Amino acid sequence: MGASIQRAVGLILSADPELLNILATTARVSLTSSVIALLLGVPLGTLLGAGRFRGRRAILIVNRTLMGLPPVVCGLLFYMLFSGVGPFRHWKMLFTVELMILAQVVLITPIVVGTMETYVSGIAPALEETAKGLGFGRGKRFRLLVNECVYPIFSAYLLAFARAIAEVGAVSMVGGAIAWKTNVMTTAIMLYTNRGDFTLGIALGLILFALSLVVNVALSVLQRRVSR
Amino acid sequence: MKHILPILLASLVLLSLIACGGKTAAPAETKAPASDATPAPKTDAIVVDTCILKEADDAMINNYTLLAVNPDAPFVDADGKPVADVQLNTVGAAALIHWLLSAEGEELAAAYGYDRYGEYLFYLKDDRPVSTAEIPAATPETKRVRLSTTTSVNDSGLLGYLLPVFEGKYGYEVEVYSAGTGKAIANAKMGNADLILVHAKKQEEAFVADGFAYVLDDMKAERMTYMYNYFVLCGPSADPAGVRAAADVKAAFAAIADGKFPFISRGDGSGTHTKELSLWPEALGITAEAESFKGYTDWYTSANAGMGTCLVMAEETGAYILTDKATFLTFVANGGVM
Repeated sequence: MGASIQRAVGLILSADPELLNILATTARVSLTSSVIALLLGVPLGTLLGAGRFRGRRAILIVNRTLMGLPPVVCGLLFYMLFSGVGPFRHWKMLFTVELMILAQVVLITPIVVGTMETYVSGIAPALEETAKGLGFGRGKRFRLLVNECVYPIFSAYLLAFARAIAEVGAVSMVGGAIAWKTNVMTTAIMLYTNRGDFTLGIALGLILFALSLVVNVALSVLQRRVSR
Repeated sequence: MKHILPILLASLVLLSLIACGGKTAAPAETKAPASDATPAPKTDAIVVDTCILKEADDAMINNYTLLAVNPDAPFVDADGKPVADVQLNTVGAAALIHWLLSAEGEELAAAYGYDRYGEYLFYLKDDRPVSTAEIPAATPETKRVRLSTTTSVNDSGLLGYLLPVFEGKYGYEVEVYSAGTGKAIANAKMGNADLILVHAKKQEEAFVADGFAYVLDDMKAERMTYMYNYFVLCGPSADPAGVRAAADVKAAFAAIADGKFPFISRGDGSGTHTKELSLWPEALGITAEAESFKGYTDWYTSANAGMGTCLVMAEETGAYILTDKATFLTFVANGGVM
């Protein structure tokens, strides 16, 4: 472990260009995909939690099933679809960062939806009652709901980000771990482990963990501030 | 705000404890066989006990072959329907192959490894195809070359050493996809590679027979086998099966099987796995099928994992293992365990 910590610090201090490239790709993939998942998942989750409409239960069941979708299956599906012989071959997207982001969005949007739905369905009836008593219209009722949801939105985002940055099954399938292009922290760790270079694997793991810690601390502080 | 930091710190401490726990357990096991043989020096450095027992045997020759993917190959989609318009970068693939087979590419490949490991890792075959063709500079359409190759080539660092020279000189960008030979070839059959560099003759020949490779201009055959090295049979330094003394590598494998000494197999359809399967006594009937080694699970472990992972298993269980030399040298250079 000591050797790994030394190596991790050494790598960061030396600003190793390959490491910086891997870090930048990791940040791009996990931040973009988690933000897109948030933008898609929050409205859908709120709707599912507060609304009462036909097919709601069916959508919920599908969503909960998707929450358990194994990343490697998701990756395999995208690999087949965007392969040189797949139906979307003309888009030439296999082994690109864009496709990695797309696969991640499919994986983590259900988690955001599920988190939001659970929270909103818990507070919606009481909120509805209050709003009715105060004689609020539709627009005002929605704003009241969103106002109540700031805290769980942050939690949902952190969950989405955590899944995105820690994910390896899907990104290794659709990204191919190509150096200087689609190699992210998790796939790099796998690569070095397979080479028998464990200290470097752990060193990268520590850097990944530190990165995740920084994002979490920053967002947690923001979460407290905003929802106070 | 006040509560977040302590919680985060606590989780950090907890995680590092878990990580350290894993580490202290591993060397305790691995050190044991070493300290039996010699009074182990009390240092923190972990000595790898696994060592090369048999090498440079003709049966363990490891040939590397280049194949250009045929743009008119009978590609089929997941449902088995033919796909006619698979787009391949044939110009870029040909340029890279011609460069690798040129005097410059071959000299670089032959010189690789000496600085880092004190020995050469790849040798040029005497009957290799040689190219003197003019290499065209990259255009925006031919710039992106997709090379599907085996982990052993990629992990040896050879491509990271060769490709920047080619890319810098002609302006191509080579994207290297590395997996076991089986997967590397499957990737090409799915239309995701312009050329492949692999090391499993039978699978290469099947690839050619299926029409997925073609003969480049001024080359004689689809398979361009141009460099080689040797697989090495490794195992515990105490060598309980007496592999060192065996007449040849086949006798060594027979001795391992006779004594039921633990053996770690890649089990993943890689070139290394394919080679290993060819070295067992035929009477055992070991193939890639799980059914075939059902009766040997007390000593034969099919790991279905990468080379590094398998080497760790071999080191920790004092098992024998067939590996390519480059990965083994990296493994030893890193002390075997983290």
